[in-house]
Amino acid sequence: MATETAPAPTETDGAHDHPAHLEHHFVSSKQQFDSAKLGMWVFLITEVLLFSGMFVAYAVFRQWNPEVFVAASNTLDQMWGTINTVVLLTSSLTVALSIHYIKQDKVKQCVYYLLSTLGLAGVFMVIKYIEYTAKFEHGIYPGAAFDPHGAHYEHLAGMAAAPQFFSIYFVMTGIHGLHVVIGMLVIGAIAFMAWRGSFSSEWYTPVELTGLYWHLVDIVWIFLFPLLYLI
Amino acid sequence: MAHDGPHIVPKSVLLRVFGGLIVLTILTVAVAYVPLGPLGVPVAIGIAAVKASLVVLFFMHLKYDNPVNALTFTIGTIFVIVFVAITLLDTAFRGDLGNVNQRTVQEIQAEQERAEQRNEALPADSLRIAPADYPDQERGASMSTEGGS
Amino acid sequence: MSTTTQDAPVEDEAHHDEETNYLNHDTGIWSWLATKDHKRIGILYCISLAVVFLAAGILALFMRAELSAPGETIMGNETYNQVFTMHGILMVFLFLVPSIPAILGNFVLPMQIGAKDVAFPKLNLASWYVYMAGAILTIAALLTGGVDTGWTFYTPYSSTTGGGVLWMTAAIFVAGFASIFTGLNFIVTVHKMRAPGMTWNRLPLFIWGIYATSIVQVLATPVIGITMVLLILEQTMQIGIFDPALGGDPVLFQHFFWFYSHPAVYIMILPAFGILSELIATFSRSRIFGYRAIALSSVAIAMLGFLVWGHHMFVSGQSAISSIVFSLITYLIGIPSGIKVFNWVATLYKGSIWLQTPMLYALSFLFLFTIGGFTGIMVGVLAVDVQLHDTYYVVSHFHYVMMGGSVVALLGGMHYWWPKITGRMYNETLGKIAAGLVFVGFNLTFFPQLVLGSRGMPRRYANYAERFAGLHELSTYGSWVLGAGLFLILGYALWSLAYGEEAPANPWGATTLEWTNVAAIPDHHNFKRTPLVTRGPYDFHLADEVFGGGDGEALGDDVPRIPEPAPSAPTEDDTAASASA
Repeated sequence: MATETAPAPTETDGAHDHPAHLEHHFVSSKQQFDSAKLGMWVFLITEVLLFSGMFVAYAVFRQWNPEVFVAASNTLDQMWGTINTVVLLTSSLTVALSIHYIKQDKVKQCVYYLLSTLGLAGVFMVIKYIEYTAKFEHGIYPGAAFDPHGAHYEHLAGMAAAPQFFSIYFVMTGIHGLHVVIGMLVIGAIAFMAWRGSFSSEWYTPVELTGLYWHLVDIVWIFLFPLLYLI
Repeated sequence: MAHDGPHIVPKSVLLRVFGGLIVLTILTVAVAYVPLGPLGVPVAIGIAAVKASLVVLFFMHLKYDNPVNALTFTIGTIFVIVFVAITLLDTAFRGDLGNVNQRTVQEIQAEQERAEQRNEALPADSLRIAPADYPDQERGASMSTEGGS
Repeated sequence: MSTTTQDAPVEDEAHHDEETNYLNHDTGIWSWLATKDHKRIGILYCISLAVVFLAAGILALFMRAELSAPGETIMGNETYNQVFTMHGILMVFLFLVPSIPAILGNFVLPMQIGAKDVAFPKLNLASWYVYMAGAILTIAALLTGGVDTGWTFYTPYSSTTGGGVLWMTAAIFVAGFASIFTGLNFIVTVHKMRAPGMTWNRLPLFIWGIYATSIVQVLATPVIGITMVLLILEQTMQIGIFDPALGGDPVLFQHFFWFYSHPAVYIMILPAFGILSELIATFSRSRIFGYRAIALSSVAIAMLGFLVWGHHMFVSGQSAISSIVFSLITYLIGIPSGIKVFNWVATLYKGSIWLQTPMLYALSFLFLFTIGGFTGIMVGVLAVDVQLHDTYYVVSHFHYVMMGGSVVALLGGMHYWWPKITGRMYNETLGKIAAGLVFVGFNLTFFPQLVLGSRGMPRRYANYAERFAGLHELSTYGSWVLGAGLFLILGYALWSLAYGEEAPANPWGATTLEWTNVAAIPDHHNFKRTPLVTRGPYDFHLADEVFGGGDGEALGDDVPRIPEPAPSAPTEDDTAASASA
């Protein structure tokens, strides 16, 4: 690791042949890229630990009320859940492909795959919207407003920890959805910049970092899907 | 690691990984319909962990990346496990303090003294000292029956 | 790899030497508010944190005044509840957690590793703005009715009481990001921005302390974020996770809260360990004893610190088995802490001790932190804690660690780096007097509280039984002495800004890069030439070789020998040539 640091040039402002993207306090593009990437990984573990709190809440209440969680979980729509899983996995592939192409200077394909990712993320949110409204129609709300009714749901009314399941469900998927929306905004901006020709195989750090973020959103869903919908 | 241009994951690898992820998704849905009993949760989490590893190693490039990034992610994961596991260590055994009693020590002693006065020679087996000797645990029972089983 | 060759105009150096430095190369309020210079951001943080410390300190003086006698003296019970809550919240979340990393870490860390700046200067500035947003939300909480939950926000009280709790939790959520940004920045900086030759084994121990802190900040702070989000949702939507009336579990909240807040204790104390290693080595004029043990014990504490949060919950009703496990792991923390204290004392042994103000704080720290550590082991004992929990014993214990440890180390560090930050010397005599007042005042305030606590005086009460009156009165007098010491420091610090003697580049004869290779007031880019590090961080012997002497008797006590600067790193041309050869 001692070799990560390269000799720094003596300090004089301006008048050097730095690439445009290289900030003054870095020695080389490689140092800047590696720093940005390590920073992103550190940021990703903060995200992981943010979600871990909700997983702990889930684990604790599931441990105490396994039957209630199974019953409540069965009211979630497995078909939509599975479709959404495939949608997110595909969006992960497309974002990986966009990085694959920008590294080869194929800007057009990169933009194309970024936009596909954006589209798939949109599909995910639409399906989430359909699922949420289906729940709200039957009085399945997080917290105090929880009042299940309708054929598929009324058996939940008397169950002790059913409100907890749906509170956790809405908080987890809600915060995950918020991450998807933020990801969409970022991917849109990155796609626009890529279309404007800002990136090349020389400098594609923002594309790479956005990809890492998006994969993490996918990973969270990989765990949410079986825990909430299947078991 | 030499840095002659960025390392590029071949498209074929990306597509194969994606295929694996889809197969595992179908598998995990299928397994949900098999009554596995207590194994259901570990199996589902195991499949999810394999899927997550595929994403991390190939899509996120960690297999080919600087080891310090892998270390970072590993440490983060370990601490999630620590958080979940140690919290469950409490909630799984909540109320295991068997001699939690509504009455105070003085009340119990007073009662024992009264009992002593009633039957002068106290039988040895009624000297209750271990936690299990106190079956009276309204508080513990209400908190632990679901979790302890 | 891109090549960055350029000529270094020699005439530039003379131009740089006297006239421009980081303070005057650019002026105006906007040059400060939009600065990306780590040194200026450190100063911005310093000013903000000084204001918070002043506010929270004055609240503490009010509390002691209320407690000077039984019954109501200067405030009612409701007011007292709000005052101790705000004292705790301000001190913990808005002062101690950011304090050393954000002020001294920001200022010193890049210079000590030979970097021009931290890895992400914009993120660094964003950290300060996010922190200020948290401070504004705190003020909003005060305006909307204040908070009286205690700094721990235990549910269900915090999730059902109104007032400013919602704003306060939002403030802590926001301020958490400032902490994450700082930690993230420092981790990447230490990994990627070190000067050539600055291997991990040559990192100054302050860097190791900050590095370990940053790991904790990054891993723990997100959890307080999600805790606060869930608490806000509990208040607004009654999601029923923490509130027992809705089927939730209040003990689960304590798990969430302490998963962050116990490691947060190490966020506060680990950088203090780092400062102490610098002070002890420099003012003993000797190589630090057990460099690797001190460095790695910081990392060990950071990791172990995540496994002991439940020792705050021994009487909460958590399972006995987890209490036992938590208690056992708590003892383990004593090992790396003990290793550090042992190594510092061993460094002093046969050193040439120079009792300047920073060293006085370092010695105070050794004494106070040892008391804090031992009392910590005592409250970590399961059975003893049942007696001592929620008494003044605990209050005194964590003040010995937080105030006697972190704040005293911060004061020592501020005095130590004051010449580098401001280019001025503080008044040494007043400094020594203030250090004495702080030490005496602190012990007078908090030692009686240990006795009070062991006799059963509960914490967080505005009133108390007659039999506690004597010790409480003593404690209040102590708080005045402590306050006098701190105000004296504030006074001469401000005075020195205007009238202080101009500082030389290395007034202490220290060996780390910020002293040997940086001008008296650092340049905007820290170094004229990037240093090439060829020796360990505390190599005072090299100085002996260069300047003769060797036994420390040739020169007087207050004329330290100045170690030679590290040579400049070769330019890219040289390395390219040698690499191809």
